[in-house]
Amino acid sequence: MPRDFSGIDCERDLRGDLQLRFVTPTLTHQGFKTREMDIMVKTKTRRVTITGTALLLVLGLVTAGGSVVGAGAATKVPGVTARQITIGATEPVTGIASSGYNQVAKAANAVFKWVNAHHHGIYGRKIKYVIKDDCYGTPGFGCTGVPNTATQTHALLGIPVFATVGSLGTPTQDSVRALLKSNGVPQLFVASGSRDWNSAHKYPGLFGWQPSYNEEGKIFATYIKSTYPGANVCFMGQGDDFGQDGLAGLIAGGVKPLSADLYSVPDLVATNGASVAPYIQDFQSKKCTVVVLDTIPGATDAALGAALQLGYSPHWVISSVGSDPQTVDAPFVGKVPTDPEIGAVTFSYLPTTTTNSAWIPWITKVIEADPTDFPGFTSSSVLNGNIAYGAAYGVSFVEALMATGKNLTRASFLKTLQRVTFSQTPSLVPLRYSTSNHQGLNGGYLTTVISNAAMKPLTGKVYTADSSTDGRVTAATKLSHGIPSWLK
Amino acid sequence: MDPFLTSRVVTDILGGLTNGVTYGLLALSLVLIWRSTGILNFAQGAMPMFATYLGFALLSYHFGYWPCVVACVIAALIIGGLTERLLVRRLYGKPEINPIVVMVGFLIVLEAVAAAIWSSTPRSLPSPFSSIHWQLAGKPFALSPFTVYEIVTALVVMLAVAALFRFTNLGLQLRASALAPEVSRLLGVRVGRLLTLGWMLSTAVGVITAILVSANFFSGLTPTVMDGIFAYGFIAAAIGGLESPVGAITAGVVLGVVNQFVIDFVNQNAVIIIALGILVVSLMVRPSGVFTKSSQRRV
Amino acid sequence: MRLIAVRFRVPIAIAIAIAIAIAIAVTVLAIVAAANVRQGIALSIAFDLAVACVVVMSVPGLKASHPVVSRAALTLLGLDIAIFLTYFFSSSTNFNLATGAAMSIVLLGLSFLTGASGQISLGNGAFMGVGAFAMAIWANHHSSTPIVLTLLIAVMCGALVGLLLGLPATRLRGPYLAGMTFAFAVAFTFILSSFSSWTGGDSGLQLPTAAIAPRWLDGFFQAGTSPLKTTTLYITDVAIVVAGVAFFFMANLFASRTGRSMRLIRDNDVAAELVGVSLPRTRVVAFIVSSAYAALGGALLTLIDNSVSPQTYSFALSVTILSLIVIGGIGTISGALIGGVIYAFSTNFISWITTQTGLNPQGNLASQLNGIIFGGLLIVTMLFAPFGITGAARLLWHRLRTRSAR
Repeated sequence: MPRDFSGIDCERDLRGDLQLRFVTPTLTHQGFKTREMDIMVKTKTRRVTITGTALLLVLGLVTAGGSVVGAGAATKVPGVTARQITIGATEPVTGIASSGYNQVAKAANAVFKWVNAHHHGIYGRKIKYVIKDDCYGTPGFGCTGVPNTATQTHALLGIPVFATVGSLGTPTQDSVRALLKSNGVPQLFVASGSRDWNSAHKYPGLFGWQPSYNEEGKIFATYIKSTYPGANVCFMGQGDDFGQDGLAGLIAGGVKPLSADLYSVPDLVATNGASVAPYIQDFQSKKCTVVVLDTIPGATDAALGAALQLGYSPHWVISSVGSDPQTVDAPFVGKVPTDPEIGAVTFSYLPTTTTNSAWIPWITKVIEADPTDFPGFTSSSVLNGNIAYGAAYGVSFVEALMATGKNLTRASFLKTLQRVTFSQTPSLVPLRYSTSNHQGLNGGYLTTVISNAAMKPLTGKVYTADSSTDGRVTAATKLSHGIPSWLK
Repeated sequence: MDPFLTSRVVTDILGGLTNGVTYGLLALSLVLIWRSTGILNFAQGAMPMFATYLGFALLSYHFGYWPCVVACVIAALIIGGLTERLLVRRLYGKPEINPIVVMVGFLIVLEAVAAAIWSSTPRSLPSPFSSIHWQLAGKPFALSPFTVYEIVTALVVMLAVAALFRFTNLGLQLRASALAPEVSRLLGVRVGRLLTLGWMLSTAVGVITAILVSANFFSGLTPTVMDGIFAYGFIAAAIGGLESPVGAITAGVVLGVVNQFVIDFVNQNAVIIIALGILVVSLMVRPSGVFTKSSQRRV
Repeated sequence: MRLIAVRFRVPIAIAIAIAIAIAIAVTVLAIVAAANVRQGIALSIAFDLAVACVVVMSVPGLKASHPVVSRAALTLLGLDIAIFLTYFFSSSTNFNLATGAAMSIVLLGLSFLTGASGQISLGNGAFMGVGAFAMAIWANHHSSTPIVLTLLIAVMCGALVGLLLGLPATRLRGPYLAGMTFAFAVAFTFILSSFSSWTGGDSGLQLPTAAIAPRWLDGFFQAGTSPLKTTTLYITDVAIVVAGVAFFFMANLFASRTGRSMRLIRDNDVAAELVGVSLPRTRVVAFIVSSAYAALGGALLTLIDNSVSPQTYSFALSVTILSLIVIGGIGTISGALIGGVIYAFSTNFISWITTQTGLNPQGNLASQLNGIIFGGLLIVTMLFAPFGITGAARLLWHRLRTRSAR
């Protein structure tokens, strides 16, 4: 393209239109540069030729031929063949919620792989678990999947899958309830303690699994009332179902916090945890001796750190969601003489590694047999809360499949799930649903953190509660016992 | 005296000062680049972050905190210089939005590469001073040894930069190259070299900020640790005027204190909203910044 | 007939007659062969419409004398072909296409702002969020409003916020405007949290009902297909139609007097002022148009996903939007289209790369591939091909044409 130092250039551009170019020199700090101003003059128009029509003629013939395309023959039961059952889940494999949580589904998959290898699946059907990364619905922060649960769920439905099992997250799973229902796909064992999964009339195919935050709150209330009667209690929780339901449970159980603050997760991440400090400062000025945290591990860390800085040491009561000792202590290692979480009381619905439940070595064995997803895991490795959780719901699914029998349809599976009580599960209490209750597990015991890798039961007494407005907490009479012989 | 020192207002002022000096430092580094090359560097937080990762990678070779700090500064100088030579050189004389888009892209790439190499899990860094606040008569005081170290370091850096510009020959040359490059060239000043030096200097100032911020007690060094600081640092620089270093620093400190008061008396969500509001108002009233002496209009 | 030159009239008439004959033949064939009569009629209407558009566009001189008609015909043709193709795609592909269509509307807005008027905005992700939440909040409070009306309400909300932000923007130079929109993008999630009782806090909102095709359209979908396929097909077609309408309006705006004065401001604002173009007003109009388009894209996305979540509308989204339009081609319409297609299939592309290179999908490098590729493309494109794929294609075609001319 010729450049004169000044004057007018006349050119035909890409469309065939005429371009007049005014070229003027200007002085910049780099030296002389030319500046151009274009004025376009339309002198020509274009025609679409008859070849375009010929192209469309071909298209039309394809139309006629293609209109006999019928719907593909659908398989009898979607996701089920004589040899395989395909299930799916959307998980935060990468992204903001992934650290720790990305082990959950992998642990369940380890159980499925083990059952496939050692028992040839269930009734000859091997379990295929398709995990789609939805980054907890949040883009950025290292997300490599599709940060949109609806998109990923669509992808699962297109496979098709028999059901979704263990998909994680309250807002993420709320957003696909209607989609899964309208397609008749069961939404099983949602990894969240929200009460949203307990709407049996509106969503008959939707099932929770873990005890709700509400139940947990009630059990905490019972503990606080008996151990610290009359103390000032403060509450900090997440600004969604998690914190709100937990607070409601606490209040229903008879403990009214002096100060209740809800934090927001994006704030937490944006300020690297500092957004929580003002709440802790507030608790200190109100002289709270007991602080209840319904927090994810990152927020637990922020709260403990803020308290350390302020020289504030209340009795901590932390939700099972954010109390895993290994995860929570990691940032403090080497910076403080002792793990700040030690002595905190939390809630657990799975047996701790300090007890002699037969499930602990079984889960360890199963995880060790999966070096692809758990490289370097040996019998001396720490079985953290995430792995135990995933393995436990994996076992629940396998047991439910077994109980349904060889003739597997969605209807028969759901019917079995609502009828059978699973009392040989890793969880402390049996897993039981009914046609009106889809919440899942309803009990556990209080544990205390003893080191940066382990917790032990406080009293060993297992409590149950429910998700209604009733704050009653009762001691569990029937606990789960042992491993089914066919699973060993 | 004690009740006064631990009162709400003083606590907020001191807490705000601690954050404010980091905003001021970042705003200063933004101003340095703007004045020397006329570019708004959106990667001004990410480049020091990357340098901090590089410097503290030496921790696994059992170097202590201070040698790592030196390594960080060296890494920052290298990154700043390379960026100017390879990336920014090609952008002089192009339309205004080109450098902005390129630096935004650079920001994304730096954060992604840092997370790819070192993962986005927060990395704990050793701290030379304790972060536990002092207690005055049983009530917590707003400062800890670490925050005092933060404030003092920031002030020292600001004074050093001021001294460099005002009292040294190099500083004079830097100012001349920014103001009148052709004339400087004619006078024998190596303008290109000084532009590179300007970038190196500003990245070094940024890395000091990053080191101070990453030794955060809560979660440490992550690829996105500088994002919040950049946002407030930019707002401070825009309010104070991208042309004025003193204005940027002052605005940064004031913004930090204002933020702390907003957190205390309003709520957390309101902080960035109010900061945005202040920015909009200040840009409407004085589009080129509160502290800028002449209101230039580029014709 | 006036606009058709005499010597072309006979061939044109013959061409039209042949086209109509073919159309009737194919219609009859379609009705006879189709399993579902209504479906057959629909497909033949599609074909006839396509033929009509081509015939209209073949009229010489139409583009010069009646540019709007020419563009309308082109848009109708494009929509026709696109909707026809969606019948044959899987529901997963359709879903991706719908998302891509929504994104292309947003890209169009930014393309206009940056390319046509030379301003930059790093806050279009936030404007998307304005539209998305406006739609969700309105639908939750007034669920009986038809979709089109709700979309328009969302667009107006976006335009309003654009006006609020655009007014101070008129006095700002590039970097300051970039910074201000950046601050807005960062502040947006906090604004949402402040009104969490309306916006549903961290969890976001769901639409009260899933989008289902109205009764009278029911028969046009293939009989015997799963509800998933039908719903997805419907929503994809809705998205494509909305995108088509948006592109049509934008094309007209580009070519109109407003568009021309905007381009004049971009190139030489002093000359523009001398000519009598009001700088502040034109800048604000450009800003409002861009934010309205972004809001439309966001509202459409809410419709597609049936839900809205605050985490989606972060600064990272604004950067994605910027990268897509830079790669596609700033200031062009085809750039927005290309960007939308890239967005629709980028995740498939990245997982393809991951499998091809044998990377661990959960490893650090694979999880950052998205950022590295997009950020890298942004830098490289801006340095070496500032006008994106569209610009490079045009340059190539120009070179080929001048070469053949010699």
